[in-house]
Amino acid sequence: MAAIFNLNHHASYVHWHFFQLSVSNLVVILLMIIVFVAAILAPFPSRRATGGSP
Amino acid sequence: MSASEERSWTAAVRERAVATLPPDKLLPDKQPSYVASWIYVFGVLSLSSLAVIILSGTILALKGPGWWHFTGIGHFFNSIHLWSVELFFFVMVIHLWGKYFMAAWRGGRKAVWITGAVTFLVAIPCALTGYVSQQNFDAQWISTQAKDAMNAAGIGSFFNLLNFGQMYSYHILLLPAAVVAIVIGHILLVRKHGVVPPFTVPTSTSQAGRDGAGPGAAESAS
Repeated sequence: MAAIFNLNHHASYVHWHFFQLSVSNLVVILLMIIVFVAAILAPFPSRRATGGSP
Repeated sequence: MSASEERSWTAAVRERAVATLPPDKLLPDKQPSYVASWIYVFGVLSLSSLAVIILSGTILALKGPGWWHFTGIGHFFNSIHLWSVELFFFVMVIHLWGKYFMAAWRGGRKAVWITGAVTFLVAIPCALTGYVSQQNFDAQWISTQAKDAMNAAGIGSFFNLLNFGQMYSYHILLLPAAVVAIVIGHILLVRKHGVVPPFTVPTSTSQAGRDGAGPGAAESAS
């Protein structure tokens, strides 16, 4: 990952009043929310709907 | 059957186990139609991640710090272990969100919910002790920072982040054993109670929500 992203600097943080969070953690949380919403909305293969266990 | 066989504790345990979880419930080959959604996949994704964690961690424990720090294949397995942990927490939290919004404790499933929540709580110190067991400057930094939190909480005297031997024991034996044991209990409870059904949505044209014919009716009644 270090070869892809330049990690040779201080971590970036989001700071709003008492709330402080590293950008990397914020990215992971946003990804989790995106995957969660996608898991609810994305259609499931129909073969599974009538057949065996997922 | 003789009198001695009837008093056998092994027979009693077997009969109770089979009565609680008959083979078709323990290893079902079909699930209800509502399980056909991606949100139901995150439980088994958590299990898959946990399997990779245990496997890669076992190899790391066998080979030792010199191997995982100074060889290419050691670096590779170290990275497999780290990223499977990241994936484990990623999918486990989505699983938790999904079950929370389904109110998955309905229908006598309180123990299922509690064992899942406890797994999450036990997995956190399991990951922390892993970070401080790396044997590098990152581990030193984390342990010296985290010890202050443990001391402030009053548990530093018996959970010492600066004691590598203790942290390593916690990380490769005590806490993984606890996580795996609770997860096994969690899965058996899911098999016993079945996957929680979705909420019934009552509509003006359907009596499903009122007359108990909907898929969640049995849950809300119980």
